[in-house]
Amino acid sequence: MSINYKKYLPLTESTAYILLALAEPLHGYGVMQKVETMSQGTVKIGPGTLYGAFSTLEKEALIIKVEEAKRRKTYTLTEKGKALLKEHIRRVEILLENGLSTKDWQ
Amino acid sequence: MSTMKKFHWFWAWDDEKEEAWLRQMAQEGWHFKSVSLPGSYIFEKGEAIDYVYRLDYFVDRKDMPAYLQIFEDTGWDYLGEMSGWQYFRIESHDGNAPEIYSDKASKAKKYERLILYLVIFLPIFLSMMNITSRGDAGYLRFFSFFAEAFMLLYIYAMVRLIHRVTNLKKKV
Repeated sequence: MSINYKKYLPLTESTAYILLALAEPLHGYGVMQKVETMSQGTVKIGPGTLYGAFSTLEKEALIIKVEEAKRRKTYTLTEKGKALLKEHIRRVEILLENGLSTKDWQ
Repeated sequence: MSTMKKFHWFWAWDDEKEEAWLRQMAQEGWHFKSVSLPGSYIFEKGEAIDYVYRLDYFVDRKDMPAYLQIFEDTGWDYLGEMSGWQYFRIESHDGNAPEIYSDKASKAKKYERLILYLVIFLPIFLSMMNITSRGDAGYLRFFSFFAEAFMLLYIYAMVRLIHRVTNLKKKV
């Protein structure tokens, strides 16, 4: 799959966590809870931010709606979303390795 | 239960001041009951509660139920709307003020929606200017004055909102 990564990267921390949470199908509230737990409380997503992220990510075909019960929409990652998340994680991993191995600044 | 009517106008770029004012009212025991154009509030007297208010700008009628559901699920009370401004409230128990936008990038989009809305109305403003500049009749000059004042306000609003977005998008 060829994706124009430059268009999306770097992802904001919230967006990266939202994508990661959507590895399984979840609705809005589920995403918020999962992100807060996963991030050990460092990332709390506000409802305005989440709604905006859902519509942007859906428009870019990075996530897809799999269910709409009452007024709650359930989303999950698309193949494109997975590829983007993978590339983002790869870059963060490089940063992490550099951060941990370089001792001069610590 | 006693109620109070209060007129309180706010400009789009001062929405955060409006939020702070509503919170202060609640801390004094005056709780938001309703709002209608142009900034006509009704408050209800009760116990002092630290309610945090947030105003969002949202006009997508079709997706409104899904939008409101996400707020409701996270404990925000939806209070109503005034021409695109959506009023939300949550009780603070620790003095902190929860946000509906948890990062700057997404908050910038709120003001971008507002700017887009203003841009859509630009042709209407312009045609208004055009009509009023055509004749010399007294009433046309009168309208022309208003049209020009409106245009100045429009430009000022744009500058303030674009400035807001630029600041929010600034990295580091």
